Amino acid sequence: MRLYFKAFKLNIRSFMQYKASFILSFISQLITVFSYYFIIIALFTKFDNIKGFTLYEVLLCFGIIQFGFSFNELFARGLDQFDRLIIDGGFDRLLLRPKNIIIQVLSTDSDLTKSARLLESFVIIIISLIKLNLSWTFLKALTLILMLISSCIIFFGIFLISASYCFFTIQGLEFRNLLADGGKHIAQYPIGIFKKGILYFFTFIIPYGFVNYYPLLYLLGRKDNMLYAFSPLVVLIYLVPCFSLFYKACKRYASTGS
Amino acid sequence: MGWIVISGFFACEGSDYEMSFIKVEALNKSFKVVKKENGLINSIRSFFNRKYEVINAINNVSFSIEKGEVVGYIGPNGAGKSTTVKILSGILTPDSGTCKIGNYTPWLDREKYVKEIGVVFGQRSQLWWDIPATDTFDLLKEIYDINDEEFIKTKNELISTLNLKEIMNIPVRNLSLGQRMRLEIAASLIHSPKILFLDEPAIGLDAISKEIVRKFIKKINKEKNVTVILTTHDMNDIEALAKRIILIGKGRVLYDGTLKKLKNKYDNYKYITIYTKDKLIIRNKAIVSKEKLPNGYKIIINSKIINISDFLSIISKKVLIDDVEIENENVDSIIVKLYEEFGI
Repeated sequence: MRLYFKAFKLNIRSFMQYKASFILSFISQLITVFSYYFIIIALFTKFDNIKGFTLYEVLLCFGIIQFGFSFNELFARGLDQFDRLIIDGGFDRLLLRPKNIIIQVLSTDSDLTKSARLLESFVIIIISLIKLNLSWTFLKALTLILMLISSCIIFFGIFLISASYCFFTIQGLEFRNLLADGGKHIAQYPIGIFKKGILYFFTFIIPYGFVNYYPLLYLLGRKDNMLYAFSPLVVLIYLVPCFSLFYKACKRYASTGS
Repeated sequence: MGWIVISGFFACEGSDYEMSFIKVEALNKSFKVVKKENGLINSIRSFFNRKYEVINAINNVSFSIEKGEVVGYIGPNGAGKSTTVKILSGILTPDSGTCKIGNYTPWLDREKYVKEIGVVFGQRSQLWWDIPATDTFDLLKEIYDINDEEFIKTKNELISTLNLKEIMNIPVRNLSLGQRMRLEIAASLIHSPKILFLDEPAIGLDAISKEIVRKFIKKINKEKNVTVILTTHDMNDIEALAKRIILIGKGRVLYDGTLKKLKNKYDNYKYITIYTKDKLIIRNKAIVSKEKLPNGYKIIINSKIINISDFLSIISKKVLIDDVEIENENVDSIIVKLYEEFGI
């Protein structure tokens, strides 16, 4: 992990070499994501709720998903850009080094401009929480923290899957879009507003439901069952197949060299 | 297929009873490659119905290398050089065969093994592009868990021998190719590896940089007993560095032995330039070609038929020689001959 932090510092220094470019990208990221929030706000000027969820409830949900996604874009950029690493042979170089391969992949790149998104999502979460005026308990605060953490974990898992996929196809962008971006856009809303099939898919196949739907119900005081509060922990189980898939694909790479 | 393999001999003593440092036996590796077809329709068809072709990248490759040897691993493009280097460095797993380096099998003990080796890819960089090399070195210190004392000592040694002092603190993107290559080599040696793999280290370097790099390789081989395996197309590199070469073609080892022996076998032609004012009339079986120059003659003879001193004494009886130059055939043309002989 020390290696990762050291590499992260170097990545920051690399970014600072191009100051103007960094500032412009940072601003454009802010605007891009703001437009997403703007769409939701626009939507709620027509309807005052979607299947019982109010504007700030949806925004909270949205913020949490954005938080996890941009967290990974910022800190796990190496996995996100894994196809590049395979194509230019950089991955071979990593295999020549005596350190864990995933840590090394993470160390290759960090996209500092994505900190704009991270910051923005954090602000949205805070605003939503203030407006929602929830009756706070210790357990609810814990639930919120678990939601944030599980949001980061689930996207890390998805990044791992799509990186593994690159081993087979070299370019993995579209596949990732299906899992991460497609899933993300749906999961930005409380999943309960969709049809049952979608709810089940995002509960059992990609467990977005455990990130922002079941715990959200507890947080908003709609369910009192403790299980709902701790449901984000389910995401940890989901990480197991993600990691094993990556390591399996890695082994296969070593025997094909494609 | 009628392959002739010139029996290799190992330039080392006692290899019969002592285990070799690097021992490669019967290594095989084949790749499944999608068959490419021409034309849009065919490529759309092949998208749905792929045909695979199996390519034997290396075929029953065996050799052993002693500690402290410098070996030139040569062959034409696509001969299997890089595949072998990738297997030896633990990136690829072979289909069959064994490879023992020290006590390790590269692809099984990867994380422990790679601490012992340094690899320089001539076409790929391991330096961070936008920041000075010295930062990359700090990162490598972390990667290889080098302690401070050791790190500073090795780094200073590398800086002085490779002449890196001025370029260490400049962002890598602002450096020339030769400067970058020197840093690249230093980066691969910061953890004091026992084996150094150099894959095309001299590509695109100017004469001065080449010379620095060669001198340095010689030096670490001599002083630290680093085993060096060098793949290259540049025969001058091989001549300057490696006593022993392994020639590979179409995935097989074709020759394994000293460069000198190879030269003796193929290097029969001598290029003799004789400067004289007289007219030279000579007939001899050994003469391959004779060419008149403004101030003398250029003669190519086959030294297997007549040795040079005999030939010169014949000439000196006929004409008054002002000056003589004798050149050997260069290694490149010997290699070309070898490739032709093996049909690769």
